[in-house]
Amino acid sequence: MQKLRRLLPLAALGILALVVAAGCGGGGSKSSTSSGASTNTNGKTGGTVTILDTAGSVDSLDPGYWYYQTDYEELGTTTQRWLYSWKPDSNTPTPDVAQGLPQVADGGKTLTIKIKPGIKYSAPLANRTVTSKDVKYAMSRCFLPQVGNGYALVYWGDIEGASAYSQGKATEVTGLQTPDDNTLVIKLNKPVGVLATGAALGLPCTAPVPQDYAEKYDKGKTSTYGEHQVFTGPYMIEGAGSGTVPQSGYQPGKLISLVRNPSWDKSTDFKPAYFDKIIIKNGGDVSVTSRQVLAGQSMMSGDSAVPPPAVLKEGLTNKKSQFQISPSGGNRYIALNTKVKPLDNVNFRRAIAAVVDRNALRQTRGGPAVGTVATHFIPPDIPGFDEAGGNAGPGYDFYKNPSGDVALAESYMKKAGYPSGKYTGPPLLTIADNQSPAKETAEAFQQQLSQIGIKLQLREIPHASVIGKFCGTPKQNVAICPTLGWGKDFFDAQSMVDPIFNGKNITQSGNVNTAQANDPKFNAQMDKAEELTDPAQRAQTWGQLDKDLTGQVYYVVWLWDNEVNFTSTNVKGVQNSFNGNAWDLTYSSLK
Amino acid sequence: MTSTIDLARESSAEVEVGGIEARSPLELFWRRLRDDRVAMVSLGFIIFLVLVAICAPLIIKLVGARPPNAQATKYLDSFGTPTGPSKHNVMGVDPLGRDVFSRVLYGARVSLEVAIIATAISVFIGVVMGLFAGFYRGAVDTVISRAIDVLLAFPILLLALGLAAACSLGKGCLGGLIQPGLTVVIFVIAFVNWTYIARIIRGQVLSLREKEFVEAARSLGASNSRIIFRELLPNLVAPIIVYSTLIIPQNILFEAALSYLGVGVQPPNASWGAMLADATSIFDTAWWYMVFPGVALLLTVLAFNLLGDGLQDALNPKSGRNA
Repeated sequence: MQKLRRLLPLAALGILALVVAAGCGGGGSKSSTSSGASTNTNGKTGGTVTILDTAGSVDSLDPGYWYYQTDYEELGTTTQRWLYSWKPDSNTPTPDVAQGLPQVADGGKTLTIKIKPGIKYSAPLANRTVTSKDVKYAMSRCFLPQVGNGYALVYWGDIEGASAYSQGKATEVTGLQTPDDNTLVIKLNKPVGVLATGAALGLPCTAPVPQDYAEKYDKGKTSTYGEHQVFTGPYMIEGAGSGTVPQSGYQPGKLISLVRNPSWDKSTDFKPAYFDKIIIKNGGDVSVTSRQVLAGQSMMSGDSAVPPPAVLKEGLTNKKSQFQISPSGGNRYIALNTKVKPLDNVNFRRAIAAVVDRNALRQTRGGPAVGTVATHFIPPDIPGFDEAGGNAGPGYDFYKNPSGDVALAESYMKKAGYPSGKYTGPPLLTIADNQSPAKETAEAFQQQLSQIGIKLQLREIPHASVIGKFCGTPKQNVAICPTLGWGKDFFDAQSMVDPIFNGKNITQSGNVNTAQANDPKFNAQMDKAEELTDPAQRAQTWGQLDKDLTGQVYYVVWLWDNEVNFTSTNVKGVQNSFNGNAWDLTYSSLK
Repeated sequence: MTSTIDLARESSAEVEVGGIEARSPLELFWRRLRDDRVAMVSLGFIIFLVLVAICAPLIIKLVGARPPNAQATKYLDSFGTPTGPSKHNVMGVDPLGRDVFSRVLYGARVSLEVAIIATAISVFIGVVMGLFAGFYRGAVDTVISRAIDVLLAFPILLLALGLAAACSLGKGCLGGLIQPGLTVVIFVIAFVNWTYIARIIRGQVLSLREKEFVEAARSLGASNSRIIFRELLPNLVAPIIVYSTLIIPQNILFEAALSYLGVGVQPPNASWGAMLADATSIFDTAWWYMVFPGVALLLTVLAFNLLGDGLQDALNPKSGRNA
C-alpha cells in the first residue's frame, strides 16, 4: 500500500503502516503488462527540467521516511540508490547497490546479498565508499520511531531481532549481518517470499546511510538526517555538499532543486539520468500548472493525479502527444460501513452496487481517459487481475450494467426488507472530500442513491479530515465514504485486498478497513493466502478472494485509475510502472 | 427623524384651510417613492424575484426545464465537461449535467430566505437592544455597547467556518437549534448583524428621549414601556426600514460567501454562492456556470441597495442625495 500522495489522491493515505501482517509470500510475478511504461534508451543528455507540483511535495528529506509516490518520484530514485531499484517497464526489481538478486539458502531463511564496490557518497563524505554496514544501518534505523517509516515492520518484521530492536530492547538487528564490507546477510525467522525475490528490498529504506556520520542526527525525537544526508544517486539537493541542505536547494512546500551528484559514477548504475538539473516547484493551482506545462518548455506534470477535465479535454484533443496515460495500479471505491444499519444487510449493499452508475462517476473525474470502469478490486497489471475475472469481472448481476440498473436495485431492496423497493429509513451520514472532482463524485453518488429512496446526510469536508477524523475512525459511525481509493506497494495482489478486507486490520484510528469488513471465513482465507510463496498460486488464491469479496459489496469499487502525466513538447517523459506510473526522472530527458 | 410625526401633525392642521387634500404620512412617503424611478424599478425587480422564487417549480414545469437536482451525463462530453446554453438547457449545465437555469431559480429561494429570515432576526434583536441601551443608558448601555464592540471585532468569517465545522455533523449545535446548512448561516448572520442596527437605534433613542413629547408623556405619568413602545418606536420606523433594506443585500452576499466556502447550503441543493464556487475552477470552459448565477446575485443585491437608497430619500426627504 504505497501511499499515493496526490492532489485528490486515493484517499487511502492515512496511516497505513502495520496493516499488512508480515510473512507475505513471494510477489512480483510477471503479468501481462498493458502499461504504457517504456524506457528511453538514447535520450538527450543535459538540460534543466521543471516539475510543477500542486501539493506541497515531499514531507521529509529522510530516505527512511519516504513512502509516498511523490517521495519516490522526486527524491527517492533521483538522489539515492537502493539495494534494488525498478526499471520503468519492469515489474521485478533490478540490483542497484546490490550486485545481484539475493542468494537464498537455508530454505529461504538466509539471504546473502553482495554489494557493488566503488559506489561513493556525495560531499562531505565524497571519498567514502558504500559498504554493507551502511545498508545494515540504513535498514536498522527504519525500525526506529524517530525515523517515522511506514513499512519496515510490515515487510521486514520477520528479520531476526527486528521487533526487539524496534522496541528498543536490543542495540542492533541481529538478523542483519555483515561478514565483510561487500556482503550483507539477512537471517529470517521464517521464509518471506517478497524478501527472497528482492521486491521488498526495492524500497528506499535500503539506500545506504553511513552509521558514524548519521548516528548523531538520528538521536532525539525526530531524526534530522534528512537535512544532513549524503547522496548516492545521480542527483543531490543543490548546495548540500557542506553537510546541510540549504534554503537554495530545499524550501518545504515550495521548492526542491536537484543538481548532478559529482560522486555518482555512471558506470556503476543502470539509470541513464539525462537531465543536468531538476527543479521542483510546489503548491501551484492545478489548472494553472497544467496549462503552464502544456504550453511551456522543459516542464513536466508533478503530483496532480489528473488535470481538471477541461484541461484534459483540451490537451487530449490538441496536444495528445504530450500526454502519457497508463494504469496506476490503484482503484477507487465507495466504502459501506457494515457496522451501521441497514448497511449490515448484504442485499441492501448489493442494491447500492446495482444502482451506482459507475460511468457517471467516472465522468466526474474526466471520463474514459482517467481510468477503466472497475468490476472488482485487483487492478490491471497486478497478478490476480485475470484470475478475478479481468475486465469483465466476476459476473455479479449488480455489477453488470456500468450505468446502473434501478430495477435490479429495487429487487435487492425488496430482498433487504423494503417491500416498495425504496428505502424508508433515516438519512445515512456520508463524509466526502470538498474539492473537485471528488466533490462532484460524491454528489453524483448522492443523486444515484436517491433513485431507490436512499437519502444521504452528505457532509463535504477538507480532504485531510475525511480519513483522519471520520472515515478512519470507527467510533464516528460514518455510514458511507464515497471518495476513497487504494494503491499498490509493488506487484502483488495481497496489498490490494488484505488491508481493506481483513478484519484484523480494523483499528480505532487510522483505520483503512473502512467498511469494517470482518467475516471470519474470509479472514482465515486471507491469513492463509499471505503465506503462499508460489506466484501462480498467489495470483489464483488472491484472485478468487477478490471475486468472493466483491460479491459481499463491503465496498462498491468503480474505477481502476489511470495515471495521467504530461510534459512540454520538448520533454520525453518516462513513466515508472513500479511507482504507479509516476514520472521516472532518471529515465526522462529533453528531446 | 421626528419629521414623520411632525409632518403628520402639520398636514392634519392644513385640512381645515380647505382645498388642499389631506395626506397621511404613508401617502406622502408613497408619492415621493413613486417619483423615484430607480427605486421603483428595483422594487419591481424584487417583487418579480419573490414571485419567481415562490413559483420556481411551476416555472420550471412551464418552460420544460429539468428539476434542479436532476443529473444527466448526456449533457456532458466524454471528458465530463459540461455543455453550454442550448434549447434543452437555456443556461447550460453544470459538471454533473444539472440544468443551470433551474438551479439559478432555486438559488433565488435560498438567497431570499436568508435575506428575509436573517434580516428579520437581526433587526428584531438590534431594535430591542438599541432601544434598551439608548433609553436606560448607564449600566445597561455600557453592557450592550461593549457587547456590540466585541461582536464587531469578531472575525466573522472565521466564526462562521468554525461554527459550521462544529455544527455540521449529526444533530447540530445548541440541542438541534443550529442545524447544518442554512440555519448555521442564518444564525451567524443574525448573531453579528444585529449590532449595526442596534448602534443606529441607540443613537436615535439617545436624542429622541430628550424631546419634548417624551418629556410630556413622562410628566403625564406614562410608564417606561409605554414611552419605549408607543412614543419612541413609531419614530424609529424610518431608520428601521431603511437599514433593513440596506442589510438585506449584505446578508445575501454573506450567504453567498459562506456557501462559496462550503459552509452554507448543503448539497445537492442549489445556492448562488455555491454555484459560483464550483464554477471558478472551470470558468474558462464553462462560462455560463459562473455568469448566470453571478448576474442573478449582482442584480438582486443591486436592486435591494437601490431600493434602500430610494426608501431613505422618501422617508427622510431633508437628508441625503436630493438635498
